[in-house]
Order: sequence, then structure tokens, then C-alpha cells
Amino acid sequence: MSEAAPNIKLEAPPIELERDRFVANNLGMGEISDQICDVIERPTPLWWKICMVPALLLLSMLGCMIIYLLTTGVGVWGNQHPVMWGWAIINFVWWIGIGHAGTLISAILFLLRQKWRTSINRAAEAMTIFAVMCAGIYPLIHVGRIWYGWWLFPIPNANGIWPQFRSPLMWDVFAVSTYFTVSVLFWYMGLIPDLAVMRDRCKKFFGKFAYGLFALGWSGSNRHWRNYEKAYLILAGLSTPLVLSVHSIVSLDFAVSNLPGWHTTIFPPYFVAGAVFSGFGMVLTLLIPLRTVCKLEEIITIRHIELCCKVTLTTGSIVGYAYFMEVFIAWYSGSSYESYAFWNRAFGPYWWGYWAMISCNVVIPQLFWFKFFRTNLKWVFVLSILVNVGMWFERFVIVVTTLAREFIPANWGYFKPSPIDILTYLGTFGLFFTMFLLFLRFLPMIAISEVKGVVPQADPHHPLGGAKPGGHH
Amino acid sequence: MNKTKSTTASRETGPKYWRSLDQLEGAPEFSKWVDHEFPSGAEAVTDPVSRRNFVKLMSASFLLAGLGMSGCRRPEEKIIPFAKQPHDYVHGQAKHFASAMPTRTGAIPLLVKQDDGRPTKIEGNSEHPDSNGGTNAAAQASILNLYDPDRATRFAKDRISSTRTLALDEIAAIATAAAKNRGEGLHILSGHADSPTRDRVRANLLRKLPKAKWHEYEPIDHDVHRRAATKAFGLPVKPYYHLDKAERILTLDCDFIGSEEDSHVSVRQFAKGRKIDPQHPEMNRLYAVEALFTLTGAAADHRLRVPASAVHRVAAQIALKVLAGLGIASSKFPGVKDTLIAHGAAGGVDPKWIDVCADDLMSSKGRCVVMAGQGQSEATHLLALLMNVALGNINKTVTLRKVSENKSGSIGDLTKALNAETGKKTLVILGGNPVYDAPANLEFGEAIESEEVTTLRLGYYEDESTPKNGWNIPQAHYLESWGDALTSDGTAVPVQPLMAPLFDGMTEIELLARLAGEAVFSPYEQTRATFFARLGSRSEDAWKKFLHDGYDTAGAAAPMKTVKLISRVVNEVVRVANKEANVGPDLREVIFYADSKIDDGRYNNNGWLQEAPDPITKLTWDNAVLMSPTTANELGLKNMRGFKDGFHDKAFKEAGGTVADFHDGEHNLTEKGEFHQEVVTLKLGSRTISGPAWVVPGMADNVFACALGYGRDGGATVSGGTGRVGDGTGFNAYRLRTEESLKYGLDVKVERTDATIQLASTQEHGTIDGRSLIREANLDKFTDPDTGHGDFAKGMNMPHPEGIEDLPNGGIAYKNPLDELRKNATHSWGMVIDMNSCVGCNACVLACQSENNVPIVGKEQVVKGREMHWIRMDRYFSGDVHNPQMAHQIMVCQHCEAAPCENVCPVNATVHDDEGLNLMIYNRCVGTRYCSNNCPYKVRRFNYFDYNKRPLNDLYNSPLNPLNRKDGEWELKRWAKDRSKGNIAEDQWDLLKLAKNPSVTVRMRGVMEKCTYCIQRIEGAKIAQKVKAGDSADVKVPDGTIKTACQQACPAEAIEFGNIDDPKSKVTVLKAQARDYEVLGYLKTKPRTTYLGRVRNPNKDMPDYSMPETYKEWVGQGNHLQTHGHEGDHDHDHGHEDGHKHSDEGGHKATTGKGDHH
Repeated sequence: MSEAAPNIKLEAPPIELERDRFVANNLGMGEISDQICDVIERPTPLWWKICMVPALLLLSMLGCMIIYLLTTGVGVWGNQHPVMWGWAIINFVWWIGIGHAGTLISAILFLLRQKWRTSINRAAEAMTIFAVMCAGIYPLIHVGRIWYGWWLFPIPNANGIWPQFRSPLMWDVFAVSTYFTVSVLFWYMGLIPDLAVMRDRCKKFFGKFAYGLFALGWSGSNRHWRNYEKAYLILAGLSTPLVLSVHSIVSLDFAVSNLPGWHTTIFPPYFVAGAVFSGFGMVLTLLIPLRTVCKLEEIITIRHIELCCKVTLTTGSIVGYAYFMEVFIAWYSGSSYESYAFWNRAFGPYWWGYWAMISCNVVIPQLFWFKFFRTNLKWVFVLSILVNVGMWFERFVIVVTTLAREFIPANWGYFKPSPIDILTYLGTFGLFFTMFLLFLRFLPMIAISEVKGVVPQADPHHPLGGAKPGGHH
Repeated sequence: MNKTKSTTASRETGPKYWRSLDQLEGAPEFSKWVDHEFPSGAEAVTDPVSRRNFVKLMSASFLLAGLGMSGCRRPEEKIIPFAKQPHDYVHGQAKHFASAMPTRTGAIPLLVKQDDGRPTKIEGNSEHPDSNGGTNAAAQASILNLYDPDRATRFAKDRISSTRTLALDEIAAIATAAAKNRGEGLHILSGHADSPTRDRVRANLLRKLPKAKWHEYEPIDHDVHRRAATKAFGLPVKPYYHLDKAERILTLDCDFIGSEEDSHVSVRQFAKGRKIDPQHPEMNRLYAVEALFTLTGAAADHRLRVPASAVHRVAAQIALKVLAGLGIASSKFPGVKDTLIAHGAAGGVDPKWIDVCADDLMSSKGRCVVMAGQGQSEATHLLALLMNVALGNINKTVTLRKVSENKSGSIGDLTKALNAETGKKTLVILGGNPVYDAPANLEFGEAIESEEVTTLRLGYYEDESTPKNGWNIPQAHYLESWGDALTSDGTAVPVQPLMAPLFDGMTEIELLARLAGEAVFSPYEQTRATFFARLGSRSEDAWKKFLHDGYDTAGAAAPMKTVKLISRVVNEVVRVANKEANVGPDLREVIFYADSKIDDGRYNNNGWLQEAPDPITKLTWDNAVLMSPTTANELGLKNMRGFKDGFHDKAFKEAGGTVADFHDGEHNLTEKGEFHQEVVTLKLGSRTISGPAWVVPGMADNVFACALGYGRDGGATVSGGTGRVGDGTGFNAYRLRTEESLKYGLDVKVERTDATIQLASTQEHGTIDGRSLIREANLDKFTDPDTGHGDFAKGMNMPHPEGIEDLPNGGIAYKNPLDELRKNATHSWGMVIDMNSCVGCNACVLACQSENNVPIVGKEQVVKGREMHWIRMDRYFSGDVHNPQMAHQIMVCQHCEAAPCENVCPVNATVHDDEGLNLMIYNRCVGTRYCSNNCPYKVRRFNYFDYNKRPLNDLYNSPLNPLNRKDGEWELKRWAKDRSKGNIAEDQWDLLKLAKNPSVTVRMRGVMEKCTYCIQRIEGAKIAQKVKAGDSADVKVPDGTIKTACQQACPAEAIEFGNIDDPKSKVTVLKAQARDYEVLGYLKTKPRTTYLGRVRNPNKDMPDYSMPETYKEWVGQGNHLQTHGHEGDHDHDHGHEDGHKHSDEGGHKATTGKGDHH
């Protein structure tokens, strides 16, 4: 392709007018494929093995913790009266929040024609799916009698047990399972052309067979592409409202209740903003080391990182505004129970949680106003982790401080997690990273075909690109 | 066993009544049958190794023989029973039998529910002339003692298993030897009891064995009332107080609501005087002088905190004022005045308090009562009696009942005798646990270990007092015993067994009769004999009526009409009382008090009581060294949970004084459920104990208080300790207590240690923070039509946003489907709780636990806040941290019409029925716990573990753990074999399941539970009514038929339950009172449980007169009483004389900003 050098010479636009390209160093189409597939095709790298060991250990710990929990009782957690939801729900909401960035990037940014999404959407979507898996475990295992968990699904049965659709938990069941299903479909759909690439490149029989099986006979024909693009667009359209709905509905778990600090109409938009915020935080945390170890600096460029930082800054500020509004409304309502709830968050026994949340979610992201912080990878990495720490504390503050002290002072309590809570949480990281590492090793972590679509070579009007007479891809 | 009698008995036709196991056991055909059926069975009963076989045995032989199950009234079916169902027996239908629970000074008349031959629930006998059916917490919980797997289950010699036969031989040998030498060297040690039969048998014994010596000892000296009255009047009399007739009550350290005996009577009478409505706004007034903050102090209108050793001086001052004020000539009580003057010079007490209190008493001459408590010396009691005599209360509010003379020796005499005399001695201990609870200086344990002493001990437990050299005979529970008692008003009550003794236990009466060598020693016959003797004839009908009714007023001693106070005695006793002691930082006092739950330690192994939160400290499973904030501050104690106890910084600052000192250090920890309490050492004389410190606001300064009965570690049970429940709880305060300091000791030295102990308190935050959950007013304001306090309770509602009334449906968006259903419902259940009557005594909490199979969870779980009580007794301190007011509020499921729990349950496990009950469907619950989170009252309880099926020290042990074995079997394997049993040891399981109410589901882990308004009782009554109605439509349950367990147990009648659609029902009438209010009504949950606001009755002239502190706090938050019909009258609605600054800004804020944001 590239050997057919163009013989027309156009004047290049002034350098200051041109944005940084999405793929640096003018990589050619083949180079892009090579670079991305190299992660899978080369012998298993040492860093991967080193990462896989703790991930698997944590995963098995998660299994042990769940077995212990199920055989012994919810009491092994730190849950108590009055804080009947503890780390399980905090972590559920946290993981669900993380699972927001992927679909947002792949669906909403796709509809908005934000081409920079292509370098990061595949990994972000994978992250979404694995995060939702981690999240989905919690509502299941947190119930007292898991063996009757199926009662939450509308399955006709002889007992005449039917779910109660007024409960936000029911809405959760549907919101999360729909979101997960559509996210998986969307992700898989995007994977098909790349799976075909892998199939074509793979030299081993089993790999070829497996990739071929999932590539569904993709041949890259015009007709395939046309159908593919339509289906992708439809799924993007379907996913978009889900991105907004799933966390809105999760927020209704709280907003529908009557507790001061939970019963708030601001929750749905504020939760969505928070989810996008934490999702981008996680994307940054994952991609910054990955682009180095996988040698993908040319495809995931500083520009991508910077753009993610800007989204983080925006959503972080929205969250900050929501915090402020909550306090304002609590004061404006004139209800002493409401105002106490927010006073208690800031100055009660869990003050540290509140201020950790405020500093990590509102104050620290403001550093992203400065280009230095957006472009300095070390800073971005640290800040992105702080974003997720802050978001964890947000969920902690909402769940725990509210329940610990609401209407009747005599039943106020103080929640402390048990070691099982903590180990289970760490265990979900095992699940997440095991899945993610497997993904890195066996699937192209960047959408090859999509990235190719945003390089100048794909643009017929660009000096570097365009269809050449008699040319071929 | 009298053979002729038993043969006549067997010849009788018609229904026969169960008498005693011995009676049947003695029957030759029975013994033959047992031998034939179970050749080795008889042995197994007493063999601890096969103890677990006992219930099997019981069900196989005793039950089938119609013994165990026969109860009292079932005909004997000796051979094969229920193939042919006995007459009048309906399987599954509970029966009720009248009985009584003996106490130290009387008895509590009971009606005991029996399900299939096992007693399951204790209720008071409301037919009894001195009872409304109320009981106390201990009576409710006493049924668990019956099924205590750790009770003495064997006849043990030298702490080694033996047999009943050998034990009987030994008793016979002692009796023979004693008969020979007329009781020389025979000592008997017993507790107090007011049982005519025991008195009679004892008199017989002492007549036959005149050289035998009888000693009585009780660690808690309830006998002081009798002793003091006997001294004062020169006759064997006991005072009986008619609190219901008293308009003014002065208690001198007399906690008649808590630690005194017969609290169920006192509470009923006291509450009667607190029940008011706008038409009858008369109310009694209670003055309390006390050192500890007790329930009586909490109920008091005026409370004076002084050290226990200073109470009699306060009494002397009041008495002096009373005598002077009444103008009683000195000659009437010669010399008394001088004694009082010499004695009453007490510093530190506001003289105005004394004056006004005395004036108030004098203004109610003949209609007031002065009571001294068991924690006070005879001097205080004499002063109280003196005042009652002077005020003309005798035979009006105080009656004197003649009692039998008691010339027993003390435990001190006994120890001296055991140590000093030479020659062989025999000691018979009837119940109690003297080795553990005798005064420490006696070294009683060593005295009975002497080679020369042979001990025969009748003990309910194998505990510290189980002789190493002698016999331990298992004592029968009162629900297994025949006996009788006199209640405090002198009415005779039968103690009737509900089942055959589970472990072949013996009663005191039988043992005494055997020792006395009587021909008939069956307690049944003995009790009958006493009854017939009193009756004067052998009327079987009268006997049956006695048993049926559960009381017999005939023959009750009439009150002594003419008595004369002997001034000389008063003078003598009061003069020698310790008058110099001035408690202060240099001379500190330690008080030993009966624990509100486990009493003197007798209920130490009772899990229900151990886990019941102390009404004041809210501590479970432990005792502590209680002290006031100032005292703790002086000791420099920090990180004290009790310090803050929820008092906000503001409250501390307002309290002034030393309070600022509390703020350094980690005071925040006190709010975090940590409760790691510093251990302090108390040194009294040469003895020391140490225990965790706990601060109780409102206690007298420089006073330390230790509850008795804890720290049991020297038990001799098969399990090695005092029992699986009570082992390792608290510290033993008896070790510090000597004969000189039985009630309190002076000059105790306190030292801090580095150690801490974690305590389990069920309430972390002790103040109400100005929230209008508890609504209180003062009587004078309440009755004054101008102040608007008549409907203060509704006036404290959160104001609605303006214009909400104009919105359709009152601004509520959705119609409640219940409103439609209700139109066709037969009943609409509702409850009302009168905060004016409730004294916080915990009886309802225990009654609910017993009725509804509420499990205990253990200390570790209570620390985590996972206690399961369906009734939470909320306790709030308010006002000055040094001298606060206390208020209690029982919080149960409110059965909201718009229940927030219901719409959040994803599986329909909690729903409403048409009668307004918020139902909890256990078998549909998956345990998301969302309902609990959304419950504003937080009255739902979650089974975090299988509390019913696993030992409490095993909760965290996964059943998969192969090392986790019970009875030598892997739990998973046990589970596979029998899924109902769990991991509880078989002997425990067999017994504990008998205590369960068969009408109530036992909940498994992962399930939410809560108060059901005792739905089993509601349904039972509805079914009965439908049966009665037949074809007629009269299916409406008449008012008063259903009593919830809590309502039934409440001696104060503070809880009323019924049909709120019936305009005449009691509950409707009460709800119509202006005092009625909904807790958190602004949430529009529309609770069916409402509360009647509390009215305090302080004396305007008192120096500490003020508006209720909770009200002041509420106003302090800028709130404003919404007076109906008095709009704009806010300025004087709570009066400036309250001492509270009522700013206009506050009022303004209240009216503009206080919108209901919903």
C-alpha cells in the first residue's frame, strides 16, 4: 500500500492548524495492525505473567470469601443495624459506576462522531463489561438467602411468587442485566472485523479455529461492512439511553427511599455524572501503564489522555455542583432531619469520608485545568486513581453516613467493615484483572479497523490517504 | 410415701390430678413398668454422659406415661396414651394454668401457658386481687431457666455423678442422725421466702430438731422492710405501700420500679396515679432521693442525687421539717427531734429542696407515702416509717401486714459456727449460691470445705456452692414444683407445676420434710395440708378453686389497725447510723446494687436477661463500674463512651463547670460503637476488684456503683463454668463486699489501669437532640387553657408547607390502596403507648422475646448492633449532663398505613393486610434488607446468622469447616442428616426447643423480622370468634379480647391495643386524647402505633422546677409550638420563666423555613 508513493504534491497545511493526529508517527495501516496484534502474537510477556499471578490469587480469594459468606451468613460482613447495607452496596455502585465509561465512549462518543474514541473504546468497553460483572456479583451475594435469589426474576412458578415492581431493587435487576447484555453485544459487534483480522493472522490451528468461529465468517466485503456499520449504529443508539438509565436507576435505590440524605431528586443526573467521572478515571488508570508495556504509545497518544482528562474535569465539576446543591437544598428545606444529615456527613463521625470525597472528586480534578497536569502521565495516573478513591468514598458517604444516623438518635450506630468485606472487595479486583489480562492476551485491545478509519491514510482528501487508482487495502 | 393414700388415690374414679413425680414413682406399678421398659433408663437420667438422652427418655417414658405432659389437669394415662386421646385434650391447643413465681418476699401470681405439656409463656394472673396481669422482666424470662441446659441435672456427690437413690439414702441418714441428737450440729441455710408451707414444715423441723440452727441469707436485703417495721412497731409486721392512693411519693433510695421486689405491683399502682386525660388531670408527684440514676429517678418529677450514705441524712432533714411543720409535740416522739437535728446536718443539699418537698408532703397528709429502699440501712427505713406515722399515712397509704416471726441466724453466725465448733457438722443449703455471694470477709467457701462439715445442697445449678465434700441435689424449677406463697398484700397463691421435674429435681419443701422425717414429704401433700389447715376443712372443691383461680384471699392477714411507733428504737438506730461520713473526693463510696437483669446473679445463665439492655446504661452481657461525669473527670478517664453518651458539645458547654475538660483526647471515639472502656480498680479495705468504667450522667458524684451477680467463673457444671451463657460475663463485685459494706462501702480507693474492656451497649447516642420524638409537657401548663399545652403533643408536629391542605388528597400523590380495603375490613388494628405510664421496666421486651421466639445473639453481636429484640427501649438523657432528665420510649413496628418498607421489597415479603397489619412473610424474604434501611423507625431486625441453630460462639464458623464438630460430628454431616438441628449440642437443642412458642415461626438466617402486633394472638382470637359466631355475622372480636404479649406483661398498662374502627374501644378512646401523636408523622407514613405525650408534674416552688428538658431542647432548635386556636399566641406558649431564651428569630425561622419537604 505505502509503496505506491503519491506523485501529486500538495502543500501541507500550516502545522499549527493541524491537530495532533490520533495515531502518531504516521503509522501505516499495516503497522497499525502489526502493533496491535503484536500484543497477542508475541510470546507471553513477563509483565503479563507477573500480573496474572496476583490476579488469580485474588480471584480465588473472592471465591473463598463468597463460599464462606454463603455457608455462614451475611453476618460475616460488617453489616449491622442500622447500617444494613455496607461495603456490598458501596462496591456494587462503585463498580457499576466504573462500568460507565466504556459504553459512553463507544456509544455516545460514536454518535457524536468523536473520532478519538477509536483508540480507547475497545479496552474501555472490556473494562465496562468486567466492571459490571464485578458489580453484578454483589447484589446477588448480599441477600440473606441467595438460594432464593431467583425470586427477583419474573419466572412463573408454583409458589405464586412474583416480583414486586415498585421496588427499585427490581428496577436494578432489569437495568443492570439489560446494560450488561447490550454492552456485551455492542462490544462483540465491534470485535467482529478484528476477530477476522486475528483469524487471518493466526498461524496456530486452534487459534485460527476459535477466532474464525467468533468472526462469524467475516470477509470484509462491502456488504459485510454495510451491514456492520448499520448494526453498530443501531446498537450505539440502543446503548446510549442505557448509559444514562442504568446509573439513574441505581441512584433510585437511594432516592426512592425516605431517608434524609437519600431522598433527593438530584440523584439520577448526579449519579450518571459521577459514574462517567469514575469510568474515565479507571480508563486512565488502565491505559497509562498499558500503552507503555504494550508499546502502543503511537496509537494511544497524549492527546487521548488529555481528552479523557477533560471529560474527567467536566464530570468532576458536575459532581461538585451536585454536592453543593445537596447541602443547599438540605438547608433550604428547613427540615432539621435533612440539615442534620448533611451536617453529619461533613462533621459527624464519618467526616473523614466526606472530606476524602470532596478533595478527590471536586478539588483535585481541578488540576486538570492546567495542561501540565493533563499531559504529564505520572500526574494523570495518580490523579486518575484518586478519582476512583474519591468515588468510592462518595458511595461510602451516601450509604453509610446516611444509614448510621437518621431519624431516631437511639438507633444510631457506627459501621465498621469486617475483614471479609475488605477481602471480598479485593477479590473483585482479582476477577476484574484476571478478565482484563485475558482480554489483553487474546483479543485486540484496540479496535484495529476503527483506528484505521481515523488515520489520514483513510481520508481520501488527505494528502496521505485516499483511494488510489487500482490501489488496494 | 403413704401407701394407704396412694391406694385410695388409685381407686378414685373420674379425672385425677397430677401430684408429684414421687407420688407416682412410689407407686409399685410405675417402678415396675419403668424397670421393665427401660432397665438402664433410670440410671441414664442422672448420668451426665448420657444426659442428652434425657429428653428422649422423658418423651419415651415420662411423657407417654402421662407424667411429663400431664400438666396438672390431664387425667393420668399411664400406659399408652394418645392412641386414645384423653378427654378435654386438643392437640396443639394451649392450656393455661394458674401458678406463682416465688420471690424473696412474696410471689408474683401467674397464669402460665402450656403447649403440649410444656410451659411456654408466663403471664401475670390478672384475676389476682393485687395484680392486673402485669409482671416484670425476670418473671417473663424465668421460663428460660426451666429449659436451661446447664442447670443441675444430676445428683452429685463430691461433684461426681451419683444416683437419686443414694442421695435419698443420704438425706434419710442425716434425718435419722439428727432425730437421734435432736439436730445437734445440723445447720440449715436458706434464702428468704414467704411460703406458708415452707414456714410450717420448717417449724415442724425445728420443733423436732430443736438444736438444729436455721440461717437465712440473701445477698440483696429485701427483708429490711420487715426488719425495720418490726423494730419500729415492736410487732412482726411488714409495710405494704398503696402507691395508687398516694398523691405525693417520696422515695429514699427506693427504686420501686426497678430493684425492689414486687415492682410489678408498685409500677401498676404508681402508673395508676399518672394516667391523666384532660377531664381528669390529677396526677401524683414523685420525689426521688437516690445515688444511682434508677428508673424511679427517671420517673420522678424531682430527683435529688446524693450518695447512698447520705440518704438517711436527707431523710432526717425532711423528717425534721415534717415534724416541725405539722406542729407535732416533741412528747409524741420523745427525743426524736434532737436526734434528727444532730443527724440531719448534711451539706451539699439545697435546703429549699428539703423544705418544699416536706411542705408538699404535709399538704397531702394521709395521701402521701415515704418509702426507703433495700439499699438503705434500717435507720433510713425507720425515718421513712416515722414520717409515714407523722403524716398520718399508716392505714391509708401504708398498711402493716402481720408476718410470721423470723428468728433465723445470719450467714455470719453460720460461718462462725462452722469454723468454731468442734465435732461433725452437717450443713444443708437450700438454694442460693452462698459460696459466690456471701460477704467476702466470711470466706464462706473455705468454711464449708472443712473436713468436719458435710454439706447437702439443694442447688439449681452446679456452681461455686456445689460442695466438694457433700451432695448437690438438683432443685426443681418453680414451674416444676408444688408450693405456695403469700403475695405482698397477704393473699395466698399456689405454686403449681406445669410439668414433671425435668431432671428429677427436688423442692425445698420436700427436702425439709424428708429431713424432718415426716411421713408425707411430697410437696403436693404438704401444700394441700397447709391449705386445708388455713381453710379449716379438707374441701377438695376449695382446693380445686384455689388451684384454678391461682389465689385465695380467705385467711389473708388483715392489716394491723393499731400500731404505735416506738420512738426509743428510732432514736437508737438513727443515732448510731454513720452520720459523720461526708462523701467527697477524699471519701468515696461504692454501692453494690442488684442488677436490673440478672438480679443477685440468679439469672446469670439466662440469655434473655443477659441480653436485655439495662434500662439506664443500655449495657448487655456485662456490669461496669458506674460513676458520674464529674467523678470520671476527676479520675482523668478518657475515651469514655458513657461520658458523652450523646451529649452534644453544646450541651456540655451549657452544663459549664468541668465539662470543657472532656474535650481533649479522643472523645469522638465514644460515638463510634467502640466502647473500649478503661478498667479501674476499686480497693475497699484489703480487697480489690477491677472492672470497666462507665459514666452515667446524673449519678451522685464520688460514688461508684457495681452491679452484683456477674463475674461467675468458678462454676462446677459439666461444661466447666457457670453455664454456657453466663460464663465470662462481667466482674464479680461480691469480692469487694463484706459484712460491713453489704449495701455500700465508704472510703473506696480507685485507681486507673492500662487495660480496657469492650462493652456491648445497645444505644450509642443517648440524647434526643431536640427532635420531637418524645413530647413532654408540665402538668400545670398542660391543664392551663391559655398556654396551649393541652395539645402540646400535636403542637410539636413539624409544620406543613403552606397550602398543602388545598391540594387534592392532602398533597399525597397516590391513593393508598389500604384506604379502599379498610372499608370492608372487619377490624383495623392499632396501638397506643402512653408515655406517661411507661416507666421503662423492660417487662415488655422480655415478654415479646418469650412470645415471639426472639433469639439472643451474644455479646459480640450486640457490639455490632445485631440484637434481635422486637421492642427497642429507647432511653434519652436531656438537660444538664450532671443532673439530667431521662425519658424512655418503646419503639416497636409502627405498622404504618403507608409503610416505607413495603414498596422497596423486591419479592413482596412485606405487605399490608386489610386490617392494617404490616405483615412480614418470613418464607418469602430473601434478605435484601432494603426494608430495614427504609424504615424511619429502624424497628426491623435481620438474622445475620442462624442464631437459633448455632451456638453463639460458633456463629462465624462455616459449616464446611471439617474441624467444626458438635457431639463428635461434622456439622455438614449433621446438617445433611437433620436440617432442623444446626450445630447446637444435642442436650441444649433438646431443651431449648421446648421453650419455643409453637404458634410462632422460628426464623432462619437471612430473614428479616419485626413486631407483628402478635399476629398469632390476633388470628387465634379471630378464629375463636368465628367459631363462636357460627352462622351469625358477629365475627368482630370484642374489645379487650386480644392482648399483645407486651401489653399483657406491662404492669403500668401503658400499652393499649385494639380495633381503631370501633369508636368505643379503649385504643380509640386513648387515641382521641389530645396527647396522642405520631412519631415522625411528617413523613406521612401514617403509623398505626401512636404515643401519648408525657406529662411531668414538677412542683412550681421547687428550685429545680423547669419545663421538660426534651421540650427545652426542641425549642432550642428554633421550633415553635403550633397552638391550635391560639394562633399568634406563641409568645407565652412556653413561658419565659422556663429560663429559656426564646428568640423571635427562632420563631420566625420556624414558621418560614420549616416546610415539610416531602
